[in-house]
Amino acid sequence: MGGLQKKKYESGSATNYITRNKARKKLSLSLADFRRLCILKGIYPHEPKHKKKVNKGSTAPRTFYLLKDIRFLLHEPIVGKFREYKIFVRKLRKAYGKAEWGGVERLKENKPVYKLDHIIKERYPTFIDAVRDVDDSLSMCFLFSTFARTGKCHVQTIQLCRRLSVEWMNYVISSRSLRKVFLSIKGIYYQAEVLGQTITWIIPYQFAHDHPTDVDYRVMATFTEFYTTLLGFVNFRLYQTLNLVYPPKLDGQGEINLKSEFEEDYALDSESYTEKLSALSASLARMVPSAEEEETELDHFPTEGEDQEKMEEREKMEHEQIKQKKFFEGLKFFLNREVPRESLAFVIRCFGGEVSWDKSLCIGSTYDAKDETITHHIVDRPSIDTQYINRYYIQPQWVYDSVNAKILLPVEEYFLGVTLPPHLSPFVEETEGDYVPPEKLKLMALQRGEKPQTEDEEEEEEEEEDEDEEEDDQSEEEEEAEDEANLAEIEEKRSRGKSLSVKVTPGKAKAENRKRAAEEEKAEEKRLAIMMMKKREKYLYDKIMFGKKRNVREANKLAAKRKAHDDASKEDKKKKKKKC
Amino acid sequence: MAAARRNKRMAASQPGFLSFNSGLDGNSSDIKRRKRVNKNKKKNWNKYSDIQDVEEFLDDVRLQEKAAGGLIAEKPDATLFFVDTGEKDKETQPQTTVKKGKRTKPLRIDLILQPDSRIPAPKNVLAFQQPNAKKQRRMAEKAARLAAMGVLPRREKLLRLRQAAAASGLPVKENPVANNNPERAFYDLWSAGTPETDDPYYLEQTKKKLVKRPDRLNEKPSVLPAIEVVGPGGSYNPDFFSHQDLLREAHEVEVKKLRAEERLARQLAVKEDIATEESSFKEQVEGLIEEGDVEPEEPEGGSEDTVIGPTATQEKKTEKQRRKEKAQRIKALRRKADRQMIDKQQQLFQLRSIRANLKTQEQRTRQRQAQRKANQEAQKSMPRRLGRLKFQTPDLDVQLSHELAGSLRSLKPEGSILKDRFMSLQKRNLIEPRERAKFKRKYKVKYSEKRAFREIV
Repeated sequence: MGGLQKKKYESGSATNYITRNKARKKLSLSLADFRRLCILKGIYPHEPKHKKKVNKGSTAPRTFYLLKDIRFLLHEPIVGKFREYKIFVRKLRKAYGKAEWGGVERLKENKPVYKLDHIIKERYPTFIDAVRDVDDSLSMCFLFSTFARTGKCHVQTIQLCRRLSVEWMNYVISSRSLRKVFLSIKGIYYQAEVLGQTITWIIPYQFAHDHPTDVDYRVMATFTEFYTTLLGFVNFRLYQTLNLVYPPKLDGQGEINLKSEFEEDYALDSESYTEKLSALSASLARMVPSAEEEETELDHFPTEGEDQEKMEEREKMEHEQIKQKKFFEGLKFFLNREVPRESLAFVIRCFGGEVSWDKSLCIGSTYDAKDETITHHIVDRPSIDTQYINRYYIQPQWVYDSVNAKILLPVEEYFLGVTLPPHLSPFVEETEGDYVPPEKLKLMALQRGEKPQTEDEEEEEEEEEDEDEEEDDQSEEEEEAEDEANLAEIEEKRSRGKSLSVKVTPGKAKAENRKRAAEEEKAEEKRLAIMMMKKREKYLYDKIMFGKKRNVREANKLAAKRKAHDDASKEDKKKKKKKC
Repeated sequence: MAAARRNKRMAASQPGFLSFNSGLDGNSSDIKRRKRVNKNKKKNWNKYSDIQDVEEFLDDVRLQEKAAGGLIAEKPDATLFFVDTGEKDKETQPQTTVKKGKRTKPLRIDLILQPDSRIPAPKNVLAFQQPNAKKQRRMAEKAARLAAMGVLPRREKLLRLRQAAAASGLPVKENPVANNNPERAFYDLWSAGTPETDDPYYLEQTKKKLVKRPDRLNEKPSVLPAIEVVGPGGSYNPDFFSHQDLLREAHEVEVKKLRAEERLARQLAVKEDIATEESSFKEQVEGLIEEGDVEPEEPEGGSEDTVIGPTATQEKKTEKQRRKEKAQRIKALRRKADRQMIDKQQQLFQLRSIRANLKTQEQRTRQRQAQRKANQEAQKSMPRRLGRLKFQTPDLDVQLSHELAGSLRSLKPEGSILKDRFMSLQKRNLIEPRERAKFKRKYKVKYSEKRAFREIV
């Protein structure tokens, strides 16, 4: 019996965790440096399961790290660089204080810098891992590139972010990989498919900045430092996969077109090239100048039966996708000066359209507003003075809605001064039985290739009628007509039933009935299966069915509500019209 | 400089000098009587000598130089006046429109930004600085002394080193570039390099290879996606119903907050009656007015005191008592054992109910397990408690129906993406929630009244 009594907190979870302050001391870093190191290395705090045990009996809330993680950090060469930097700052301060300007210069020349390349390689062992995780870095880079150069962060960081985001946009344009766009009240969401990974990012609207005070800029800058390095390497590899030159170069022919006389008005000579790149209006140079090699045929392996069908289906799908990828091809857009230029240029160029803008708006415009071949002129003001007959004047939402629908939508609803249809989110995916707004239904019908029965026409017809008659009459008439139809149907049914019982008709070949019989059989089988279910399964089944029905019921309710709302708004409109 | 000023003075003294604001000239003469003060102090020179006319004059000269590019009085008449010969014919206009490719009129914003002063900006501010001869002489002397000793200046030394390196053909080690340098180069990081052939342990120990990162660290601390897309109600031009849904959601959050606040207020409310005049008076005179029926309670309290505390002294048990107790104990034990025996036998007949019992028990444990698993799954997407502060879900970004913009041009963005990103990092457990450090003064502020202030007050 006996043995030594075990002491408390000397094994188990108490020794697996370490508090932040202890970790900081172990690494002999300041808190800011420790935080920076953790962000760069991807080491995050942990919430222990039994806090009281870990905290040696105290319940005070603390930040804990896993001890093994901190031990791993001890091997990091950057830690040494942080210490060096601290000493560098101290020496520099001393030199300034003593006004030793020569010393200051020498120190600044030998400023310690560190590299993050090995950390990126360590955290993302393969390229595809990095691509999968690029969402965050894109959002951060786009965000930082919009910052004003006012000293909230380094100007160099802003410039680097801008460069990387422009590179990314150019890549998406060249690879035609944009899928969805959503204009929200916060910013613009984009989704692209890059090497089979869906990547979502958000871009703020231009000039939408206030600097919130409750955000830690130092932490954000550290994240950005890491993310810019990551995005740079990812960009390099992506450009390689498309055979593009990195750093991006404009295509040779495009450059000549772009050369205009007034360049010096918009950018310094040193910056004009990057500005032209960021205008997104020209295509990029390739390593191997090849003819359009995009449509690579898949190898065919002759197979039999079902596989063949599947293959054909897949081929069809691919063809459709390729078609969708360039459905703006052949269209020429012109952007008026009040529309968001960069976003529109990006989206239009992603789907193969040509785009230009006023020369004074930005560098890199390729043709001006007087060009006769322009097909779409994008305007966001109630009216415009000079209009050309051979082009559509439309609002910017048309471009985004078309991209989400993957077809060219009818332009009538997007003309100048027209109240726009709602901009639906492409990120919502309805399951069966959910409520689907009527606009989306219409859109889906359009995608299927059905010719839409335009509501406007109907409305116009109705309105014409209204001028002759009272509204009530019309509705009553409609109801009557419906009732009559119902009655007629019932009568018919009845008469059929009667006739069957009485008459003897010559036999017919029942071609349809086979199908129907099969269906019936199926239904019967299902019914029997339900009957044969165990009690527990039956209960579950009933529950599921009830849930489905409830969903349908709710959807119906919403649809009815929407109809009532639409009717009410229509009536209002009519009244207004009458008043006018 | 001095010469120029003298020149200006001369110009002003001439009878033909025209001042821009000539109206002020006459009025400046009739001022009140001069105050007599001692002139033996510099302070008084500044304070009591009237230099307003000089200032005005100099201002005017400066204005003329700025607006007209020199003193107007000195200008030839031809530059100031022209002969009005009526309107020109508009022949010249069509000629200007012919040249289309030429540079068009500059933009108005560019014109606004042009400097409107006629005085050219100084090219190089430092060029006006007088070289300090003494200092230069000292520096030259020091350089000569060092050269005599054979010490080269730093610049020269570096140059020679570079030249030597270039001559020997060794690659010059370049200074590493900072991480945020916008011109920095990237390369193919994931290309398969030459595989290491050496012993990995040796490489690790000699710091030639980094320690392998544990796989555990590549797991994300939360299952939430990096970018959470707002619902369809957050569209800039939303569908009516989805917008209403979003509004309802925001409303519910708001109601919940309000309720919590109300509850807190209710709990903190003072429940007792508020003191009236009468009650407060009563309180004040409490104990002053003697009442007959109050009796001292001391004797009672004293008697109670004596009762409290262990008083009963344990009497010793007799032998008989012990025997009896022991027999009872043994009897109870035996009875218990018998009971167990019988129960066990009886269980044979209770098999059915026992089985049912077991079944229900097992079912319950299974249910609990499933529940716990589901909870754990749900926990994975929840923000953890990582520090002193709890994560607080930020407010929903909502635009009310009347705030919605009809078009993209008039859209007023809601919320800040920077904050959104910061909150997302917290929500995904990448960083612990923090608050801005409060400003703490190191030393107490000492207030002292200035004399001028004290005189007024």
